[in-house]
Amino acid sequence: MELPKGISVCCLTGELHVRVCGRGTFQNGQPLRRFALEMIEKGATQCIVDLAGCEGMDSTFLGVLAGIGLRLNQNNGHNRMRVTNVSHRHLELLQTLGLDRLFSITPAGTTPAYVAPANANFQRLPDSDISQLNKPLNKNDTADLMLEAHDNLIEADSRNLAKFKDLTQYLRDRATKHDPSKTS
Amino acid sequence: MKDFRIEQETKGNIQIVRLTGSLDMYSFPRLETQLNTHLQQGHYAILLDCKDLDYIGSAGLGALIGFAKQAREKGGDVKLLNVPERIYKIIELLGFTKVLQVHTDESAALASFTAH
Repeated sequence: MELPKGISVCCLTGELHVRVCGRGTFQNGQPLRRFALEMIEKGATQCIVDLAGCEGMDSTFLGVLAGIGLRLNQNNGHNRMRVTNVSHRHLELLQTLGLDRLFSITPAGTTPAYVAPANANFQRLPDSDISQLNKPLNKNDTADLMLEAHDNLIEADSRNLAKFKDLTQYLRDRATKHDPSKTS
Repeated sequence: MKDFRIEQETKGNIQIVRLTGSLDMYSFPRLETQLNTHLQQGHYAILLDCKDLDYIGSAGLGALIGFAKQAREKGGDVKLLNVPERIYKIIELLGFTKVLQVHTDESAALASFTAH
């Protein structure tokens, strides 16, 4: 069965299941972030992200995943974020950003330990199919998401600071200009 | 999706880097290497032709700001040319157009390097 493009989610007794189909980018990171934080608030203790249908991820989307992983680990201990069906290409990306140490990774072709039941009722998050976005993104929300996501990547692995310092500096300066109370 | 490709051209002291395909976390290291090489060789005037670019990711955009900053410190710049509308919307959304010059005409873009 072909999965619908976008991000589909399902929450089952403390497990948040996420399926990424198509691209995961700064354009659809926000709905996932909001939903995941709400579920963690309601008691989710682990998150399983299935990348079987994922065509690519940008650093903001990876930073959103890192933020969910950091929050879960903070509440519940290590390796609460499990990423499954990880292709070689995605694995290289996760390793480049040091996220292989934050996430528990199951490569594509291997049976993951945590699988949603076949009858699990996945719902697609609104505005998560970037090919169908019909309303403009909010500038400040997007910039804030991008900043938070890249800060998460730096918190997950300090080697990311060199990669993202120009971007985070720019976004921090921008946020401060927009709202002077946001000083670093 | 087109494969990511980089083509080079030199006009006077300006390096034109023509990009094709998707500039994402997977392909950006190739452009990064190319830009670092230019800066190390003292080529500080760089024009990125984005006409055939399908996509640009957030990290790529952020890194371009860093390269532009380094080039400006040496009297040059990194500028964008022929940015497709879909990508321009992303660049504009985040205000990157305030820190990265975007041109629609190659001659004007080339002339802008010597104008200041």
